[in-house]
Amino acid sequence: MTTLAATELADYFPLIVIIMMAVTFSVANVALTLLLGPKRDGKVKSIAYESGMNPIGTARKRFNVRFYLIAMVFLVFDVEVIFLYPWAVTFPNVDRLAPGASEWLIRILFFLFTTVVAYLYGYRKGVFKFD
Amino acid sequence: MAEKLAYLWPEVTLFLATCAVMVIGLSPSAAVRRLCPLISGLSLAAAGIFAIGTTPTLADGAEGLMPGMLPYAKAIIAAVGILIVMLLAGTVDRGEEEELAAGVRKFDPLRLTSGEFYAFFLFSLTGLMLTASADSLIWLFLALELTSLPTYVMVTISTARSRAKEAGVKYFFLGALGAAIFLYGFALIYGGTGSVHLGEIHHQITLQMAGDGLNGITLAGLLISILGIGFKIAAVPMHYYTADVYQGAATPVTAMLAFVPKTAGFLALILLCSAIGWHYGETGHALPDTIRLLLWVMAVLTMTLGNVLAILQTSMKRMLAYSSIAHSGYMLVGIIAGPGATFTESGISAVLFYLLTYGVMSTGAFAVIASLERTHAERTQTGELAYDEADSIEAIRGLARAKPLLGWSMVICALSMLGFPLTVGFFGKLPLFTSGIAAGELPLVIVLGINSAIAAFYYLRLVSYPLFDEAGDEAGGFITTPMRTRPAVAAIGAVGVLAMTVFAGPLMGLAHDAVQPKLHDSDAPIADEAMPTEEAEPVAAK
Repeated sequence: MTTLAATELADYFPLIVIIMMAVTFSVANVALTLLLGPKRDGKVKSIAYESGMNPIGTARKRFNVRFYLIAMVFLVFDVEVIFLYPWAVTFPNVDRLAPGASEWLIRILFFLFTTVVAYLYGYRKGVFKFD
Repeated sequence: MAEKLAYLWPEVTLFLATCAVMVIGLSPSAAVRRLCPLISGLSLAAAGIFAIGTTPTLADGAEGLMPGMLPYAKAIIAAVGILIVMLLAGTVDRGEEEELAAGVRKFDPLRLTSGEFYAFFLFSLTGLMLTASADSLIWLFLALELTSLPTYVMVTISTARSRAKEAGVKYFFLGALGAAIFLYGFALIYGGTGSVHLGEIHHQITLQMAGDGLNGITLAGLLISILGIGFKIAAVPMHYYTADVYQGAATPVTAMLAFVPKTAGFLALILLCSAIGWHYGETGHALPDTIRLLLWVMAVLTMTLGNVLAILQTSMKRMLAYSSIAHSGYMLVGIIAGPGATFTESGISAVLFYLLTYGVMSTGAFAVIASLERTHAERTQTGELAYDEADSIEAIRGLARAKPLLGWSMVICALSMLGFPLTVGFFGKLPLFTSGIAAGELPLVIVLGINSAIAAFYYLRLVSYPLFDEAGDEAGGFITTPMRTRPAVAAIGAVGVLAMTVFAGPLMGLAHDAVQPKLHDSDAPIADEAMPTEEAEPVAAK
């Protein structure tokens, strides 16, 4: 039992390394900026950053509709990736000679087809036009 | 997976059409954009044919609890769906398209919504068909939501008027509440029975009832989910949105709301109640007393409140909204009665037949309203063109003389909704009465009878205004819409009511075949046999 737990923990070692790298990287960057960076303060510079919009004024202000369009298109591809990763990991384990093995491929192709339709729709709708 | 595909071809067809319509609707060419309703209609026809053709056999173990229901339910969904899509054709983007044609505006895909509109319509019908094929709670929930979510958007974009937006927001928030409630109920059912599969739930509930009775969690889950599904069928106490939403949406979308969510709700109720366990092929009911009581109270309140409030309305759309609430109440009687050996004793086949009847006659009545509009479009606050539709009941005064087609269609559809003898509405309501009596629900049947009499009061207004009244000032302002398909739907609705009266027998036969029992697995019959003696007694005492 103890050996099992030990091996399981050992499996997580790369994850711990990544977390430590992430923490080190962010802390080091902030620290280095504080130490090395020039300190010129200004009114515009000290206001909160809000996606490039002026954060002063009423909250009921109208946002450019593109913010939402981009967010929605992002969701489509985001969800796609979430499903593609587990599929890609499990697919090599599928016994290709077993009956119904082709279903594994057909399913993901169907899923990709729906994403292509979403992309085509977004393209026709003009979501990717930035003018 | 593959075996499930055998009966999902209608849904696959609709889905592919959805993909096509979504992209085609954004074409710069107006002629191509106009193909959207046509493609939707054709795909529905194909789905209907597939539904009749690719039927799982009763012995096939892959399907849900009521395999016979699939082809019937999907075929009526396709049939009424075609009527609705004809009615919807040209509803959205009308002002926009006119301005494009006149060259006032340049083509901008962001401003056009016809692609989304028909795509959402097809999505909704796909969800509706999936509801009929549901074999697990997760599937059922997803299908119900797929049915409902598109309708929220369709209500909102149906006209440029701000009241459509108000209606959409109300519908969405209350719809989300309804969904949350029945999802919670589903979670409790899963907790109480240990499965999401309807067949397994049926088995577990059968075991529980044969033992110490339903356990508390299962019972609470069933009650809560039935209450939540009440939102879909607009049953009291989940009916509040109905009148506002029906009035706010453009009339063609209202016609859709009257059929699609209601059908989804009733299919879900039938599936849930069949999981609780009726014993097929016999009279009497296996619904636990608490659930029967809940449905009983819902039915009585729903039909009474719907009919009484409908009398007070002067807006036709609100009147039909309350009438749709009342019709849900009528159909709940069939759910309570449960299946029976013959058509007259079977409440479930009565409900299935009534759904078809109601779909045709209400779509016909809404089509008449949708066919009347003011001559000139007005600009809304946001600068879009919108046509003023007929809504006040004054608009149909003298309609039978001024516009015989529309006037007579309204007369026939209203008579049928009233359940006037020798219309299909009468033959639809009759089995609800007889099945209720066969199930021993005499008080409920009496309430149903009284309600039919109350309903006569306002339906007869819809009959007498076009038939006997002179056209008033209000009526003069309305012309028949230039969109040809809408009066056509009104006519088809009226002709359908008459034709279905003639062919009521065969249609009833189909509805009855639809609820024939599934051939049970080897272990199920033993548990099923044990049930009747325990269940029949408390119910008979009521």
